[in-house]
Amino acid sequence: MIEHRRTPRTRRLRSRLTIALVVGVLSTVVAAGALAQVGKSGLIGKLEGPEVVTDPAKQPKTFKEAPQLAELVKAGKLPPVAERIGQDPLVIKPLQSIGKYGGTWRAGFTGPADYWNGFRCCSGPDHLMFWDYTGDKALPNLAKGLEMQDGGRAWLVHLRRGMKWSDGKPFTADDFVFWFEDIYKNKDLIPTPSAAMAINGKQGTIEKVDTLTVRFKFPEPYFMLPDMLAGSTDLAGQWNGYKAMGGFAPAHYLKQFHPKYAGEAELDKKVKEAKFDSWVRMFLAKNDWALNPDLPVLSPWKTVTPNNTPTWTLERNPYSVFVDTAGNQLPYIDKVVMTLAENLEVLNLRAIAGEYDYASRHVDLGKLPVFLENQKKGNYKVYLDPGDYCDLIIKFNLNYDADPEIAKWFNTADFRRALSLGIDRDQINETFWLGTGTPGSVVPVDSNKYNPGPQYRKLWATLDPKKANEMLDKIGLAKKDAEGYRLRADGKGRLRIEIMTLGGQFVQYTQISEMIREQWKKIGIDLQVKEVERSLALQRTAANEQQLAAWNNDGSEHLFTFPQHVFPFELAAVATSGPLYVKWFHSAGAQGKEPEPRMKELMEKWKKAFGVPEKERIQLGKDVWRIAAEEVYIIGVVGQGPAAMGVRVVKNNMGNIPSRMYNSPDGKTPGISRPATFYYK
Amino acid sequence: MLAYIGRRAILAIFTVWAISMLAFAIIQLPPGDYVTSYIAQMAAMGSVVTDEEAQNLRIQYGLGQPIYVQYLKWMKLVVQGNFGMSMEWRRPVTEVIGDRLWLTVVVSLAALFLTWVLALPIGIYSAVRQYSVGDYVATFIGFIGLAVPNFLLALVILYFGFILFNANVGGLFTPELQDAPWSQAKVWDLLKHLPVPALILGLAGTAQQIRIMRANLLDELRKPYVVTARSKGLPERTVILKYPVRVALNPFASTIGYTLPYIVSGSIIVSIVLGLPTVGPLLLKALIAQDMFLAGTIVLLLGLMTVIGTLASDILLVWIDPRIRIEDT
Repeated sequence: MIEHRRTPRTRRLRSRLTIALVVGVLSTVVAAGALAQVGKSGLIGKLEGPEVVTDPAKQPKTFKEAPQLAELVKAGKLPPVAERIGQDPLVIKPLQSIGKYGGTWRAGFTGPADYWNGFRCCSGPDHLMFWDYTGDKALPNLAKGLEMQDGGRAWLVHLRRGMKWSDGKPFTADDFVFWFEDIYKNKDLIPTPSAAMAINGKQGTIEKVDTLTVRFKFPEPYFMLPDMLAGSTDLAGQWNGYKAMGGFAPAHYLKQFHPKYAGEAELDKKVKEAKFDSWVRMFLAKNDWALNPDLPVLSPWKTVTPNNTPTWTLERNPYSVFVDTAGNQLPYIDKVVMTLAENLEVLNLRAIAGEYDYASRHVDLGKLPVFLENQKKGNYKVYLDPGDYCDLIIKFNLNYDADPEIAKWFNTADFRRALSLGIDRDQINETFWLGTGTPGSVVPVDSNKYNPGPQYRKLWATLDPKKANEMLDKIGLAKKDAEGYRLRADGKGRLRIEIMTLGGQFVQYTQISEMIREQWKKIGIDLQVKEVERSLALQRTAANEQQLAAWNNDGSEHLFTFPQHVFPFELAAVATSGPLYVKWFHSAGAQGKEPEPRMKELMEKWKKAFGVPEKERIQLGKDVWRIAAEEVYIIGVVGQGPAAMGVRVVKNNMGNIPSRMYNSPDGKTPGISRPATFYYK
Repeated sequence: MLAYIGRRAILAIFTVWAISMLAFAIIQLPPGDYVTSYIAQMAAMGSVVTDEEAQNLRIQYGLGQPIYVQYLKWMKLVVQGNFGMSMEWRRPVTEVIGDRLWLTVVVSLAALFLTWVLALPIGIYSAVRQYSVGDYVATFIGFIGLAVPNFLLALVILYFGFILFNANVGGLFTPELQDAPWSQAKVWDLLKHLPVPALILGLAGTAQQIRIMRANLLDELRKPYVVTARSKGLPERTVILKYPVRVALNPFASTIGYTLPYIVSGSIIVSIVLGLPTVGPLLLKALIAQDMFLAGTIVLLLGLMTVIGTLASDILLVWIDPRIRIEDT
């Protein structure tokens, strides 16, 4: 009997050890080989990218277009290029040279759920404002300019003269009013108003000034608005259409699907014919950039076969407002064809085989050596784009309450700090990042404007088992069992904590957690690694059942547009550091649980930053990160590496490719490098 | 005979109905629903979905209602030949499955054909020449085929295909023809891509069938009627093929019931590895995303295939082995 009971546990343990060991040894050997071949510096280039020309004096006076479009113009099927572009084109200075028209960009995607794949490359980005290539400054994009009024309480958006939707209809202030009055304020489409349209919880409005001017009005100063229009927020343009947000929408097209404009009987008939359950579902599908080829768009390419078919195809938008400095209408590349890959291994193998022209999403860092080995054969080059954020973080669920003992320790700062000191980040970096990452705390890269100072990178984020042990002894966890693990203070045996991980992600959360499990043995902490499926992870988070969770904090380098991995901001995250705090934060204290003082301070500073000028905001941002690093609500492990979509495989004949680009969700990488300027040499 | 088939057919209808309920219930078992997995996707892309929005989505998708209401609603659609809207693909389920169903049938029939074409003669040979060199070789290869998981084989073949022949990786079509309408060129393209997946899928089955054929035939060969036939001077070919082989085919016929659903489900992992646009990967994704109507329809389809397969094998058995007919009528 005893034998029977012991076997499974030993076996499980052994297999775990074996996995950790095999992964560790293999990756290290492979890493050594790969890096000996090229060297880290050879793979990470200089941050560079195209620039938007805002000076009217430098704008091209005459325009050229792709040969196919010129033919259509000749045949009388299309107005001349200058008419299509309008008087104020969006001029982009290509990175290296003026390109040539033609070619098809081949890539892979994994199905309708992978729609950011296409948005990131090909939507333009179609934001009113967008970041410069360093990801630092929000610059005018589809909007010709923003003008602040009334001390930040109102913002005028100036539109480009003569700019048109992809079907040739003008893009005007009416498209904003339609979005605000008929979409945003429609309770069926948007039951919960967006925080992006509000300041300090008070909702703003949008009104038409004249055909080409729109006013965003708020009850209090909203200095952050330009950034909100540039980042991946609810106001960031058409990619949000599938959930009815965006800030604007093609009124002339969508009215036929809206009950206010289409007759009830007529609309019902349409819904039935298209087999939808309701007009809301149909409206959202019709307003989806990736799904509906008929939807007028403002992006350089537009969907021609939707992303719910085996091939997602995009074609140039003849009315694209994007031009290069020589007056050539962008994009240069005719077509983007993304083929469905049923699994990531096939996608990676296709990339290795040179069947894609440009791939970075889903390209696996662990396969870097194989990618390097086949560079010549596949006629491509490998680039690494490290992010400015942490590729692996461990979130404590500060509101965990199923086990009061564990809840107590999670809310003890020294417990969290000690655990952080027990991680050997260098070993993890060498093994899983092939040495390309930077070990440290949760704070973003040193050059980030919200970085609180270089000393915070290492704060509670170095390997110091001695100090960690002392701290754990001191807070009341001194007693250990025969195997050296710490005992619970309530006398109920060993202190076991659990980490929730997800498999099949950009970062190998489970395997890295197994390594941390081995490292924490040295400080007497028994960590259980539980890999779960994605929706189960979400379910457990929502039910407040998870203890620790491994994830990354990509996007947090844009602290104010992407805060969900900095403090408990979002309930629906795969992991949150406190679901009750989230509720408290969003209900302004009416629901949930009031956070402890330091967390409350952090939240208040974050919230305050939206209504103050930039200089003050930067200071608030630094304060937020300072508190986050001091309190270790979230452990930073290794960051600033290329693990999250930062391994890029690009054909040698593609031009205007940056040797390193800004890698972030807010930058919609590679969107930040303006793929409309990529071309085939 | 007709009464027998009629009785069977009526039972089959009830079975399918029971399966539909079971299928729907099974899909509801895992925690969460489509909205949960949708939110997870949103979160992965950096979008924030609030509690209220999630509730609204549930109402939009009809997920808030009790399970039997959802089932009845779905059944109402199914009876009309409309299997609902796939939540993830945002297209009618019939459209999503559409072409994939035929490709699945093509791939699996090719595998089945290959299995039988290889297994029957080898099995007969192995039985007739028991313990010969040929028997040992066939047995050896057969066991290897049985022992190697076919997804592994698929990975190995993919890798060598790429390394040695620079072959197109995965899929059933070259990218240029993927979306092209059906034409001679496209059919030819499909035929060129077919042998590898068919072989991989068929290999394990082949080994199994060789062993079954061999064992059954050996049993039969020792029976007195064979000895009698031979002693009467019947040519060896006729002695073996006319009677013992026919009897030994019995298990082949009776496994059709399982072979038909295997056509869809057995190829899931291999299809995923090889990137084949068949129903298998679709089912897996639908289950992960909790895309109810899509998953439900595929499971229902599998059930239907099992029922049809069983019916077919029953009829086939009666035809092959007259002894069964005597017992039943």
